[in-house]
Amino acid sequence: MERNDTYMPMETKVVKITDEAPGIKTFRLEFVRERDRKKFDFLPGQLAQFSLMGVGEAAFSMCSSPDKKYIEISVRNVGNVTSAMFGLVKGDTIGVRGPYGRGFPLSEIKGKNVVIVAGGIGFPPLASAMEYMTKNREDYGRIWLVYGVKEVDDLIYSKRMEKWADAGRVEIIQTVEKGCTAWDGCVGMVTQQVKKLKIKPEQTVGLSCGPPVMLKFVSHEMQALGIDADDIHLSMERMMQCGIGKCGHCNIGDKYVCRDGPVFTLYELRLMQEDVW
Amino acid sequence: MALGIKLENVTVGHATNITTKYTLVILGFMSASIYYKLGKKDLQRFLDVVASKMEVFVPVKSGEGFNFLKMEKGQEVDISGYVNTEFPAKGIFMPDGETLVSYGNKSICEVFDDTRRAIFGIRPCDMHAIMVLDKAMLGHGDVEGHYKERRDNTLIIALECSKAGENCFCESMETDELREGFDLLFTENGKEYHVEVGSDKGMELVKAARSFFKKSGKMSATAEVGCKKVIDTLELPAVMKKAASSKIWKDVAERCLSCASCTAACPTCFCFSLKHEPDISDLRKGVVKREMDYCMLLRFSRVAGNVVFRQHRAERLKQFFYHKLVYGLENDGKQHCVGCGRCITECMAKIDITEEVAKVREKYGKK
Repeated sequence: MERNDTYMPMETKVVKITDEAPGIKTFRLEFVRERDRKKFDFLPGQLAQFSLMGVGEAAFSMCSSPDKKYIEISVRNVGNVTSAMFGLVKGDTIGVRGPYGRGFPLSEIKGKNVVIVAGGIGFPPLASAMEYMTKNREDYGRIWLVYGVKEVDDLIYSKRMEKWADAGRVEIIQTVEKGCTAWDGCVGMVTQQVKKLKIKPEQTVGLSCGPPVMLKFVSHEMQALGIDADDIHLSMERMMQCGIGKCGHCNIGDKYVCRDGPVFTLYELRLMQEDVW
Repeated sequence: MALGIKLENVTVGHATNITTKYTLVILGFMSASIYYKLGKKDLQRFLDVVASKMEVFVPVKSGEGFNFLKMEKGQEVDISGYVNTEFPAKGIFMPDGETLVSYGNKSICEVFDDTRRAIFGIRPCDMHAIMVLDKAMLGHGDVEGHYKERRDNTLIIALECSKAGENCFCESMETDELREGFDLLFTENGKEYHVEVGSDKGMELVKAARSFFKKSGKMSATAEVGCKKVIDTLELPAVMKKAASSKIWKDVAERCLSCASCTAACPTCFCFSLKHEPDISDLRKGVVKREMDYCMLLRFSRVAGNVVFRQHRAERLKQFFYHKLVYGLENDGKQHCVGCGRCITECMAKIDITEEVAKVREKYGKK
């Protein structure tokens, strides 16, 4: 009888660990088996389950460009699995299942201007999208990236942002909730910066990921700019266990965030049969 | 009603060439169901024959009620007074704590249970519930391989009801009748069981104990089971949707203890968590288990950083009620509530889904 392996992780090795900020590290992983690497063909915004045997699994969206031989995830040390991950060193093993779900519609939005709003540790899937769009720069119009964190020390991906800015027609606005003397950038919420953007709404789509409250207000601001609810794509977070639309943890009403999302349009979210934020 | 048509090939031989003709054979209405009779006195002997081939689960009285337990050698099956089991058969397909993955120092593999089993005494509502689980675990994209393995290896000998239990409302949910899903369907008829064969595997069971079975015709319609509880299901999803932000859920939440008994007892609640369990004597080894989990619990929707998406009991109750009475019909074409009444029986706070739905109807059902 044919058996359906369901939870079998693919083996990866940690090849690089980067300290991004206090409590945030980026892990670069390489698949041990070539066939696994080929199978793991992901779109920015999709997620995967990362496991440490004996500890547990946690879902993350990849932050690396989908065309790389490796995958990267940026992880904040907030739970069981992530704190165990922080104890890993180069050469250690992480199990990977996936990719799962629906990512950002980067093919569908070709030719459009793109407003990206990232909040805190919601940045990684959008970083993957930025990698993709700056690599295929001619496929997209103007890009605005608004990135907000609580404190200056929390800012990550500074080098990557420089690289993206070099691709041209990319405006990056960073803002911190709590400023300090060493910071001469914007202070305040991302929404205040989104408000100021001068965009042509009918030619612009919005992508965002961050804490639920931020997403709620960012989607309000994007709409206030005139972007259609169908063109606002938000990556939602929920508890996930199985990743394949079975275990029920990630339900919003009847939808499964792992399977039907994690990226939903604002229009779809409005039709949800449960509170979204 | 479906007209069963079978394609038969008829070989016509000539001296030198053989041609094959295809003939459509009309089998009759509702496909070619086959019926038998089995004397009640022969039930035990039949189950013993089945038990010689596979594990057999039967309703066993333990404490106040019945539950499905493995029939031990020499055990006499006694279903006198059996209405339904306290806990549904989902535990046979998704046992709490089932090992899914086993790993060692250098190896890792998924573990499947391919034990052949038969369950005798599944009531029609619970057969409908198993069909709901099938959709959830085997449909909508990915297949849950461990459920599939157990399901594929388990035969179902369903048993029609003659009398409803205190909290049954299967007639409302239209789950009192069974037309598919089972391998064999038994219906009590005096001193006999009328037996309908539902699958080839069911037929094999009959063949294995052929001397006990007598050929029979289709049974005339059985009497109604007479449920005392009722849910008016007419356009229920639409009515429920109007009540999405109703105070009714807050009122129920005032009484709800958030103990999750309803979800544990529900035959269509399938939510689970994956738990890593290292071997304490050698931490390089261990297993990943699937534990049943319940949306009624606060921690169910908690993510790292201690954000809980369903903070209030009212939100969790609403998810349960809507999953059972709205989402199933919309996404699977089949209500996830099968009217078994277990959530009513098990609720310590005496919350009754039929009463709450009646309140919703009263307030939001009018045009």
